Amino acid sequence: MGTTSRAAVPALADTRLRKRDRPAGARGAKRRRELMLVWVFLLPSLIVFLLYRILPLAWNVVLSLSKYSLFGQSEWIGIDHYVDMLHDEVFWESLTNTLIYLATAPFGVALALAISLMVNSDIRGRSVYRTIVFLSYPLMTVAVGIIWRWMYDEKVGLFNFVLRSLHVIERPMPFLQSFEMALPSVLLASVWQILGFYMIILLAGLQNIPQSLYEAASIDGANRRQQFMRITLPLLRPAIFLAFVIGVMTSFTSFDLVYVMTNGGPGHASELLVTYIYKAAFELGKIDYAAALTIVQFALLVALTWVGNRLSGGEAGKVETDG
Amino acid sequence: MTTLRPRRSAAQRYPHWPIHLALLVTSFLMLVPFYWVLKTSLTGENIFVYPPSLWPVHPHLYFFVDVWYLIPFPRWLLNSVVVSALAIAANVVFNAMAAYALTRHFRGKRLVITLLLSCMMIPFQTTIVPAYLITGRLGLLNSYLGMALPTFSTIVCIFVYKAAFDAVPRSLIDAARIDGLSELQIIRRVMLPLSSAAVATNVILSFIWSWNNFLWPLIVVRDASMQPLPLGLSRFLSDHENTTGALYAFCIMVLLPGIALFLMAQQQFIRGLTSGATKG
Repeated sequence: MGTTSRAAVPALADTRLRKRDRPAGARGAKRRRELMLVWVFLLPSLIVFLLYRILPLAWNVVLSLSKYSLFGQSEWIGIDHYVDMLHDEVFWESLTNTLIYLATAPFGVALALAISLMVNSDIRGRSVYRTIVFLSYPLMTVAVGIIWRWMYDEKVGLFNFVLRSLHVIERPMPFLQSFEMALPSVLLASVWQILGFYMIILLAGLQNIPQSLYEAASIDGANRRQQFMRITLPLLRPAIFLAFVIGVMTSFTSFDLVYVMTNGGPGHASELLVTYIYKAAFELGKIDYAAALTIVQFALLVALTWVGNRLSGGEAGKVETDG
Repeated sequence: MTTLRPRRSAAQRYPHWPIHLALLVTSFLMLVPFYWVLKTSLTGENIFVYPPSLWPVHPHLYFFVDVWYLIPFPRWLLNSVVVSALAIAANVVFNAMAAYALTRHFRGKRLVITLLLSCMMIPFQTTIVPAYLITGRLGLLNSYLGMALPTFSTIVCIFVYKAAFDAVPRSLIDAARIDGLSELQIIRRVMLPLSSAAVATNVILSFIWSWNNFLWPLIVVRDASMQPLPLGLSRFLSDHENTTGALYAFCIMVLLPGIALFLMAQQQFIRGLTSGATKG
């Protein structure tokens, strides 16, 4: 049976092919039309990505290697901007701050994991809890920044009120104007905003784990802790990795929150690479230097994602097929 | 978020109240900032009086009226609406066309998909300097089109469409073609009606992204009259830092559309974000 059908199919296909091939010119024209159609349909999107993703990336490289002047010819100067960067204290400070920002991702993800495990259980009102935790994520970050500024206000902010009432601090604390507290304060706000997004990603991962595995494990006598360590965590690895990557991305792109809450200050105590790039280009007018900073930032981002991917066993792609 | 499998066996083994307690505390912490701002927007705040009142005393809506009449709020709202509308329309159409092309087999398809996936790795924030120069050369600085153009097509949304289009039976498309529909008509009359969830995701995500967008308008907009709401809000903050009530009323007015849309279309929203996120 198997052999006959296998033999029959190529024969059939052959005849069909030959029949189709007969009006060769017409068929070629049809294929050309089809190909043209495909590219015409792709064109608008590709133009947008070319103009605002690929061309900027290339142009950044060119700008970073030259001396830009608004009028007249730009001058090729090689890696001078990159050498300047080594002596630029603000660059190192903003790089350090960006890495500190990045280091909050594991805490955020761990917290979100705990929450997502709780809202994945069969308690009542779990969808209400999910909505509440997620609510802060899709909101306009500028408004979120203003809300948090107000929370941190020195005189009538809620933080000062609570901490003073509990006698943790005796004097009003100017959180966002303090060199030590400005960055941590912004980071807390950023975790507050992204927590719900982490939760949603981990929740999707949790719901992809087949329930039968838990049933089998409990028949085999595994307790809840063992089930968590042996089933949940390993199978959740792609989702956890994905949350990390998003955390990394966020620490490199989180402009709005810092701009509104502290504008990088006091001094450069809460400066991030992304805010420094903006300032260099649009406040100091050093477009070429900003481009060099961007290249460094982008290279770091790619390297970190790559390392993360290796560390997670290259399983990031697994989510793709599951989702 | 989609389906929930009951865990009856597990439920019997552990008490629920510690989870409720932990989640109630979490929810409280997540909601407190909203409450604090809402309270201030209704009562204002005298920053020289300590301690601040925890409850709204004599709430009123005058600050909201102030925001509407004393600053060009309607104008900024209009700017935001126009830019968002442009972005939504372009996303719904262009992404659908691109996704439809990607359901076909053609030479270079793998290359295009690889290109799209690698473009996803380029955050917009790392393109601002050349993007500004490019927009300047196109003569689009300080214009609605210039503000909206970079968001005209979104890779995540293309893949959301593609997943929906791939699920449409091939025979249906062939039948439509035999009936004499052009390819654009096939998208409009066959693909889009059958993928309403993907359309909703496209509308919602492109709305949220352009509505909330701050960095790009900050770079390309020069005139106060062209500012969209986030920019207006940030300028208002730096100009009138101490007019507390109105500032927070402004915040609430800007946040409301996003919150309303999110609560109405939560499922689509979350599906879009997770599918987008997991696709790369």
